[in-house]
Amino acid sequence: MGLLALGTALEWPEAKKKAHQVRQWGIEQLLANWRRAKGKERDALLWGDEVEYLVVALDDEAKKARLSLAQAEILKSLARDEALWQAGSGKDDSDGEHAGEEPPHFHPEFGRFMLEATPGQPWGIGFKDLLKVESNMKWRREVAKAHMAPNESPITLTTFPRLGTKDDYIQPYYPPSGPALRSQFVPDEIANPHIRFPTLAANIRSRRGRKVELNVPIFKDTNTPSPFKDPTVNYDLHLWPEDDDVRNGAAKDDHVYMDAMAFGMGSCCLQITFQAKNMTEGRKLYDQLSPLGPILLALTAATPIYKGFLVDTDVRWNQIGGAVDDRTPEELGEAPLKNDRWRIPKSRYASNSTYLSQDPRLRKEYFDPDLVIDEDIKKRLMDGGMDELLATHFAHLFIRDPLVIFSEDLEELDLNKVHQLATYAIQAPPSEKDDIGWRVEFRSMEIQITDFENAAFSIFIVLITRAILSFDLNFYIPIQRTTENMETAHARNAVLDEKFYFRKDPFSRRAPRPSAQPSPYGSTFSSATSSAVNTPPSSPPLSPVESEYELMTISDIINGCADGTFPGLIPLVESYLNSVNVDVETRCFLASYLDLIRKRADGTLWTGARWIREFVAKHPSYKHDSVVSEEICYDLVKAVEEVTNKEGRDGSLGWELLRGKKN
Amino acid sequence: MKLILSTSNIMQGGRPPVIRQPTQKSNVELINALHSNFLASQHIELSNGTEVHVNGNGVSNNGTAKGYQSWTGEQDGALYIPEIDFSQPGLAEERSQYDITVKLFYLPGIPVSRRCAHTREAIDLVLKELHVDSIDLLIVSFPGLLFDADDDSDEEDAGATGESDDFDSMVQTWRVLESLHEQGMIGQLGVAEFGSERLARFLPHTKVKPSVDQINLKDCCVVPKSLILYAKQEQIQLLTHNDCNDILPVGTTRELLGPADKGVGILASAPDADDGIQGHIEPQWVVKYTAVVKDRGVVENKGYFALADVGSCVKPQK
Repeated sequence: MGLLALGTALEWPEAKKKAHQVRQWGIEQLLANWRRAKGKERDALLWGDEVEYLVVALDDEAKKARLSLAQAEILKSLARDEALWQAGSGKDDSDGEHAGEEPPHFHPEFGRFMLEATPGQPWGIGFKDLLKVESNMKWRREVAKAHMAPNESPITLTTFPRLGTKDDYIQPYYPPSGPALRSQFVPDEIANPHIRFPTLAANIRSRRGRKVELNVPIFKDTNTPSPFKDPTVNYDLHLWPEDDDVRNGAAKDDHVYMDAMAFGMGSCCLQITFQAKNMTEGRKLYDQLSPLGPILLALTAATPIYKGFLVDTDVRWNQIGGAVDDRTPEELGEAPLKNDRWRIPKSRYASNSTYLSQDPRLRKEYFDPDLVIDEDIKKRLMDGGMDELLATHFAHLFIRDPLVIFSEDLEELDLNKVHQLATYAIQAPPSEKDDIGWRVEFRSMEIQITDFENAAFSIFIVLITRAILSFDLNFYIPIQRTTENMETAHARNAVLDEKFYFRKDPFSRRAPRPSAQPSPYGSTFSSATSSAVNTPPSSPPLSPVESEYELMTISDIINGCADGTFPGLIPLVESYLNSVNVDVETRCFLASYLDLIRKRADGTLWTGARWIREFVAKHPSYKHDSVVSEEICYDLVKAVEEVTNKEGRDGSLGWELLRGKKN
Repeated sequence: MKLILSTSNIMQGGRPPVIRQPTQKSNVELINALHSNFLASQHIELSNGTEVHVNGNGVSNNGTAKGYQSWTGEQDGALYIPEIDFSQPGLAEERSQYDITVKLFYLPGIPVSRRCAHTREAIDLVLKELHVDSIDLLIVSFPGLLFDADDDSDEEDAGATGESDDFDSMVQTWRVLESLHEQGMIGQLGVAEFGSERLARFLPHTKVKPSVDQINLKDCCVVPKSLILYAKQEQIQLLTHNDCNDILPVGTTRELLGPADKGVGILASAPDADDGIQGHIEPQWVVKYTAVVKDRGVVENKGYFALADVGSCVKPQK
């Protein structure tokens, strides 16, 4: 992505008028894309991880940590070196441990204080590749750091603890209340200046008719006032019409209030993208990974602080959804439907609402009975040859208006620019590249402080997908339960204290011997509805959907239930590994990764969220009033740097996260 | 009489032979997989219209001494348990997409002289099942060898079976494998549980060097340095496994096939009882095969065959 504007972005009133046209174009392009790509077969497994960093600048004299807005300069400097590398003259790593690896890629993100890094080339399933992930992540961090000012560092906290406070938490400093965000906490300059981002933020605000509204419950410590009224909210601003929001009750008691996209899109996550063998496999993975989203969210929890306050939730997820929630009062159900077409229960960035796989195990009871779809679009897609499941999925996505429309796009539209904000996305191969197959993205995980953890979780997800495909695992539960699990995952210490809906038996019913019946399920299913009805007469009747799943702890799900009902994701992965040829060295590495996850799940090791909470609680200047002061923030950032470097070795900081014992 | 026991593809089909505890070994996997494959085959036959007698305990054992014939099959003097329809396609894609690894377990107490025939027999079955004409890697497991990570002395575990393999018989067996390798039937050869000393002793006697040494590691981060260095020097890949040393004991086999609650009513409850096939039973070998789609890391097909002799000419093992 270039930093110069590549087009003229329309403001919302204009964009709104064009929304219908863009949607129609989008549908046609989608159909063309799908027709071309649906038969794409036999792509290798390729996968990639994306690590996002906050760039912090430390002022050791004043003991202050600030966010650095140097994204553009850093990227420019990185790009120069990348060009040198490509030309073969740069200082690459041909003699070091990264010999033969392509130099990493760096990308801009929404926040101007953020940086994203991906491996130079995608990973394969070869076990040797799995060994490279962690060292490559460390390399990326080194390369990034080398292109920053001496006092700047890339850190992998999900959010900056004091983003949006009254002090000068950014460098260089800009005052809040700009025309695009109109936030009373963050300036417009916080966002990447590419026209796409301010336009996106402004159009969301404009479409909503007010600013986005994020209220995160405050963590009530012994000295926290009750009721807690966010002391940083200014009720006397009269610069923009949206300054009325707080006077109309936008900031809720006992909550930390935030009013800009930066509070959600400015958080860092660990995202994994897979290329599937073909569309069928992509759709299967999309479905089977969906119930794992909330589990991995709770397990990677790392977000206990917002805007200088300890909050009562552990993860960032709802803030992302809230930060891009463009729904109008009518769509939200706050006003009777007059101008808008429907009530919409979720933000455009939320957990999955549909299942996609043409899988005989997908029962109609798993679908959301209240799914909002555009029937005309569904019909158009089905008339165009698309199957009902996929048509329903897109007819659901397309209930949203496109937010950023470039006037140039009205001649030719890139679909990916318009509908990029789903949870676990499935992406058809892009039309311009023939060597890319169907891709599935897993987006729920929070970034972890160390690259060891980030590698562990990335590789765990990769191994789970291999186990899913090898054992033909079935994690289906009604999709509303996954939505509920997503909420559950937010609770403080949900990883140990909460229970999640999960399927009890992940194994498929034994198919009859091939000789007994030509096809176990018949071949006539065309959609979820008909497949559920078309069960062959010889199969025993299905048990009620409610009996297929139950509430389990994260440890049950990861390590297996003591009573043997659910075998556990780790034992499944181990079982997969026992079925393939793994060399000794790789197996040792993998064992240490799986061990981390096993112990996170059973509480032996702490989550990042818990570690940060404890750090604040034990800080000598903490007054048990939920306030994370500048001094604590500085010390926390320093501590995080130390954990990243020393990884809790020899009783150093963070051993509770990584080792479980001091020595 | 030969009995050929099979699991069919244990990756698909929804039984839980998947190991529940990481510490469990594949002996449990094999036994469970055989058991549930037998039950499932029995079940399908029964539900396909055969007269069924069902009592309170599920399928009645009455008359199953004859009943098993409906779901097993006799071919060339061998009883297939269950019957296998080899006309069914083995793998979904063409051969070049797969890495096929086979591990052959020679069982304790079986004369080395039979190994040539056993190896052919086992490999042939796998080739027939998967509809391929070669395998990529054959790992052989000699009985009684135990790798001990703590000290690198891989002394034979003579106490356990009294039938440990001597060195010469391993070399002798290796000749058979080398000839199959020459015929192009096997891509690479491998051994299991060899420590560095045994490897060093073994290599000079081989024409085709083992390219893999598979070791069982409880805690895999304590591999003896000497072995790592030696393997590297000789370009032998060290792979991990968690198979059991005594993978198919006699007693377990009788339990699986016998008439009692756990069995499927093929063998008599004792060698001279009249509630099934009579005589002693002697498992001869077990073979495990795995077909992995190379560039996707998906295990598409994994299963076991086991061969046991049964009848009046089989002598009980001491």
